Formats: sequence, structure tokens, C-alpha cells
Amino acid sequence: MELDSLIGIIESSPVTNQETIDLRNQYTKQALFANPSDTTLLAFAQSTVDLATELRYWKGLLLGYERVALVYQYSFSNPYKALEYYHKALALTEKDKDLESMGWSIYGGIGTLYYEQEEYGKALEQFKKVLHNDKNLELTATANIANIFGSLNQLDSAIFYYNKALDLEQVTNNPTYKANLYSNLSLVYSQANQMDFALASAAMSIDLIEQYGIEFVRPTAYANASMAYLGNKDYDNAEQYANEALQLSEAQGNIFLQKSAWGTLADVYSAKGEFSKALEAYTKFSVLKDSLNNQNRRVEINRSLLEFEFEKERTIAQAEIDRQSTIKTASLLGGGGLLAASVFGFVLYKRRRDAVEQKKEAEFRALVADTELKALRAQMNPHFIFNALNSIGDYILKNNNETALEFLSKFAKLMRMVLENSENKSIPLEEDLKFLELYLQVETKRQPGKFSYHIQVDEGLDVENTLVPPLLLQPFIENSIWHGFRDKDGIGQIQITINENQDMLICSIEDNGRGIEHITNGNESKKSFGVSITENRLKILNKQKNKEGRLQVIDLGEQKGTRVEISLPLERLF
Amino acid sequence: MKVAIVDDEQHCIDHLSTLLKPFGAGMDISCFGSAEDAIAGLDTLRPDIVFLDVQLHDKTGFDVLSSISKRDFSLIFTTAYEAYAIEAFKFSAIDYLLKPVDKDDFEMALQKATDKVEQSQLHDRVKVLLSHISTHNSPKRISVPSNDGYVFLLMEDIVRCQADVNYTHIFTVDGKKYTASKTLKHFEKLLERQHFFRIHNSHLINLTYVNSYHKDGYAILKDGLKLEVSTRRKEAFIKECGRF
Repeated sequence: MELDSLIGIIESSPVTNQETIDLRNQYTKQALFANPSDTTLLAFAQSTVDLATELRYWKGLLLGYERVALVYQYSFSNPYKALEYYHKALALTEKDKDLESMGWSIYGGIGTLYYEQEEYGKALEQFKKVLHNDKNLELTATANIANIFGSLNQLDSAIFYYNKALDLEQVTNNPTYKANLYSNLSLVYSQANQMDFALASAAMSIDLIEQYGIEFVRPTAYANASMAYLGNKDYDNAEQYANEALQLSEAQGNIFLQKSAWGTLADVYSAKGEFSKALEAYTKFSVLKDSLNNQNRRVEINRSLLEFEFEKERTIAQAEIDRQSTIKTASLLGGGGLLAASVFGFVLYKRRRDAVEQKKEAEFRALVADTELKALRAQMNPHFIFNALNSIGDYILKNNNETALEFLSKFAKLMRMVLENSENKSIPLEEDLKFLELYLQVETKRQPGKFSYHIQVDEGLDVENTLVPPLLLQPFIENSIWHGFRDKDGIGQIQITINENQDMLICSIEDNGRGIEHITNGNESKKSFGVSITENRLKILNKQKNKEGRLQVIDLGEQKGTRVEISLPLERLF
Repeated sequence: MKVAIVDDEQHCIDHLSTLLKPFGAGMDISCFGSAEDAIAGLDTLRPDIVFLDVQLHDKTGFDVLSSISKRDFSLIFTTAYEAYAIEAFKFSAIDYLLKPVDKDDFEMALQKATDKVEQSQLHDRVKVLLSHISTHNSPKRISVPSNDGYVFLLMEDIVRCQADVNYTHIFTVDGKKYTASKTLKHFEKLLERQHFFRIHNSHLINLTYVNSYHKDGYAILKDGLKLEVSTRRKEAFIKECGRF
């Protein structure tokens, strides 16, 4: 789930329960990840802690403490406060046997904290503890141990642990992690002067990056590859990769990588005998080096580990989400990682924003909103399909085989339309009306004499040239048919009206059924799935377009019916 | 009338036979359960109408088409979901039915097939079809239906398309103009992934032939023609040109 909808759900939740605490914790981590410079998260995280305490929800409290620690660690660069909160979380695991298993990820957090402070001995101790006790964290722990040995310049041990991490089963499904491990391994091999291996590892990393489009690791891998080529005296390739790493890291605002690339370039040019270029590169290298202290580097490496851990947690929690939306999430995460890395490097450098960053962030938010909308539209597919299966089943019960087959192929046609239309952000009103008409035809065929319908479109409205978000009205029509007319005496009627009013498109669906209040007994949470998806879609669309689209559900009185009004900013194709 | 059904799934054959039943005794139906049987049988059967499934075990309906010598029947493909195939049908203007086949769609297709609409220039349309199915990167043609038969145009030769109510005028690089009996929307859907862009309610242009964009809202083509870009399409157009 993405930030906008998370906060939406949190804010709209009438009561605070364990679920909202979980969502708040999820939100904190995700938001921190998306924008590490956002210091307002501290207050949010702390009130999550208060709420969890009030509810005596210990698991939520534990995660709440961990989130506060993360905010202190990454937004405030305050390791002491962070450590304090990590220990609070650990204290809970000691009190409650059920929480014991959650302790290891806290130890992992403490490990990264020590690592940032260059207290490698202590960091190593933490990660070894994690490694021996929690199978789920095996990969993170092994990779961290390898990084620590790398930083300690104990290259043989680092190489051993990187290879061990690469042998783990967890890494097979995680090309991003794998590419990163190979890239780091290549660096360590270069330092150990094992140039053949360095080159081979760099090549593995770059292969994975190309194959899966892992932009997040690309700049680092290129910088490391250029060093490996340099070591193999392949100056042309070294120069090319260094230049590409430079361009990418400049675009990201990643100072550390820029420095590294200039350093490699300086060596390449001097090896080629191009001394004035070498001097120029070396000067740039020195300037960047001065502006970076060692700690920055540590924090940056760590930053990517936070991301990986986050990715892992997410994968486990959302395993049940269907394949399609997993792909979307994954591609979004990649984008998120890229942005987070760039934002973070920047925060480290001077903690101020410039226009480029703001633009990137705006683009990122737009991407998040688009993806979120797409996911919501995609959710309409199974929703529609299951309800359709209900209709088909109902029809088969009441009719003979041949007409049932006819009915089935009509519904197949509808499903195809749903699948095709839901691919698009918006479709011509004409298409959506075509779909509604067929849907209504099919549903009247299922229950002959149960209801009739009428679709009335404003005469002046150019339906070909007017754009609407697909499938916005269907859930309400479905509600009228399935719930509004249930147990109704006499013939039901659905009146669909589409009008243009100034800059707005007004769509209304009115039935003479039981009335929404009567159906739900005034209980908001009994809202149908389709309707709540539509509400969320409208909310995001409004935010995106900065306009006031509106949804109103009006109860016309018991046995008098329900009226749904949706107003949308009028959008035209040409 | 001789009708051939080629499908490797019996229930699909049964469904089509059921749909044909109301057309009575005049229909002489032969069924082929595999690509091999169809290739062996179609040339001797000389059917009037062929319903041809896309996926036939490890072969395809396209294999059948490329292996038979007489293509003088009305052809209707049947498929459940093969998107690549559906796109190729559209490019080549060959009729198809989606499974499970809807009764109304079926009757419409059968009507066209009986009227021999689906038979005209089938040989050339199949050539277009097979070129779109092939993975060769050779220049591709599209079948353009007009009032007097089909013309087959190389996509890269099409400079632009202009709407004329329910017709579309297609202008090619050699200065010729063809009038198609389809709407501009039809061609937009067909060509939008082939470097074509709808700049205006009435204009679809091939971005390869765009020379420049004028700030006042005009696209200028290589032959000097100025075409209006509608305000709502401007941003996307510039972006698309930049990508191209």
C-alpha cells in the first residue's frame, strides 16, 4: 500500500485499534524511506507509541519504539536517542515471551547504528547474534558482516561473507540485493588486488542490473566496474564506466560516488598519459573528498540496507497479493529506492533542498499516485469477476444449458471490457457507457421483470471527446441491482443521468430500491468493496488534479430508493 | 455451404457447431482437431468458410495458413486471449471471434462470411497477417479497407491520416491519397504504438515525418505542411517527439 492511501485509511479510521497501529507503523517506515529529511515524522511516530501504550498492544508498541529509533537514526542523525529507543523495544521482548522472536531485527538495527559510528567490533557482535538466531534475517546479517569486514579492511573475511551471502537461498529471489552484493564484492576484490575476480563480479552485477533494470544499484556498480577495469589495464572500459557512473551519481546528487568516479578517472587518464585531464579529475576528486567525511559513507551504505530490510518485510507481509499488483509494487519500490538514495545523499551533504530535488520529489509523488490509481483500478477486476461469477451461477440455476452458455459469453465480453478499460487512466465516456449498457442488458436478462433501466445523456455532451476514469459508476449500479432491489415488491428502476454543468460532469444513479440507510442500517463500514475503492480513487484524482470531484450518496427514504451523485472535473480528449 | 472448424479442443468445436445449428441443413460442417489434419484436409475440402483457432497444440493457425495452397475461403480466426494475434488480425483486417464466442458476434461474423466480404483479397491479407506474426524486423504493411477492396500500405510510408466523418484519408510519402472506410480512431488504435500520434481530433501523424513544432501550436511536417496541434495534446506531443 502506498503512502497516500495509508494515511487516508489511518485518518479516516473512526477508532484506534491494533490494525490502525500496524498501519501507522507501516506508514512511518515507508514515509521515512521515501523522504528521510522529513522530521515531522517524529511526532507521528511518538503518538503511535502513546496510542499503542493506551491500547496495551505490545507488539505495536515494540514496532512503534523501533520506528522512533529509526526516525532518530536517519532523520535526526542522533544515534544516542536512537539507541535509547532500540533498548526500550528490547526491554519489551524480555518482558513478553511472545515478542521474543521480534527482538532480532532490533539487534540488527542496533548493529547498523554501531556500524555508522564506525564501532565495528560492536556492530559485528550484534550481527553475529542476529545471524545465529534468526533465519529470516540471515541474508541481511551476512551481508552486513561482509560490509563490516570490508570497512575493517579484512578483505579475506569480507570476501568469504559476501560469497556466503550470495549462496543463501534468500538471495535467489532478490536480484536487487544480489546485484548489490556482487557490486560490493567487486570493490573488495579490487582492494585485495584480485583483479580477475573483481572484473567477473562487476560483470555479474551489471548483468543483473541490465536484466532487471535495477537503477538503484547501477551507479555504484558502474563505479566499481570502472575500478575493476582499471586494475585490468582496460582503460577504455574503465573510462567509459567511470563517466557513466559520474553522470548517474550527479543526477542523483550522490557525492560519494562522484568522488570515487573522479578518482578512477584520474588514474585512468594518468595511465593513458593524458596528464592535464588527469590533473583536472584529481582536483575534482580532492574537492569532493574534503566535503565528505568518513561517516557519511557509512550512513549511506546503511541507508540501502534499511531499504532491503524494508523490502523483505514487505514481501513477507504481502505475499498474498496477486501477481499483477506485486509487479507494480516492485517497480515502484525500485523508483522509490532511487529517489530515497538521491534525497538521502543530499540530506547528508548539506541538508538543504534545491529545485532539482523538489522536482524529482514531485515527479515521484505523481508516480506514486498514478501507480496507486492503477492498483485500485486493477482491484476492480477480481471484484467484477467474482460478482459476475455469482450472476452466472444464479442464471445457470434458473435456465437451460444453451441460454446459460449465451449468458456466459456475454459476461466474458464484459470481463474483457473491464480488463481493457481498467488499463487506462481515463477512457472516452462513450466506451464507459457502452460497457454500462451491456452490463445492464445482461443483468436484466438474468432477472427478467425485476428491474428496468434508463440511461440519459445530456444532448450537448460529446461522448467521444469526454474523458472519464473507467468503471466509476458500475459499483453503484451493481449495488442497486444486488442490494437495492432485494426483497422489493414491484419493478425496480434505475435512472442513470449524465449532464454537463459548467466545468463539471455530473453523473447520477438513482434507484427506487430499499434505500441505503435501510440496507446498511446506517452502518458506514458495511460499505461495499467497489464503493470504497471508488471513494479512494476519487480522493487521489482530486489530489492529483487539484480539483473538487465529489461523491454523494443520498438516502431518499425507506423503500423510496438511493441516489448517488458523482461530479467530476470535465476533461476532454481534444 | 461448406464450413470447416479447426480447433484442438472438442468443447470449442461443439460450441461453434451449436451456434451454427440454427442455420440448418445448408451447412455442411467438417471439423479438424489438429494443424496436421487441417493442412491435409483443407485443400481437398475447399470450404467456403473456415473457423480457425490460433493455438493448436504445439502449432498455430498461422502454420495452417502458411502451409495450404488455396486461400480462397472466408476466414474467421477464433482465440481466447492471444493479444499479439489480435493485434495482427487488426493490422491485416482479418475477422476474428473471441472465445467464449458471443452469439450476436458470431451471427455478425457469419453474415459477413456468407456475403463473401471476408473472402476478398484474402491471400494478400494473409500475407500481411503472417508478416506481423513473424519475428523478422522487416517493414510491415497494413490492410486498408476501402469501398473498392483493400490496399496494402507500408506503415513507414504513411505520413498522416485525416478524419472525414466515418472515413479516413491516408496520405503516403509518394504523395498519394487513399480513402479508407474506417474511422480515424480505428487507425489511431492500430498505429499509436508505431510512432504515430493523434495531434488533433482530425489528425493522426507519423512522428518520423515531423520536422518541427511551432510555438503557436502547429506541427510542421517534412514536406512543409502545417497541421494544428490541439491545446490538450500539446504537452504529450512535445514529450512524444522528444522521446522519438
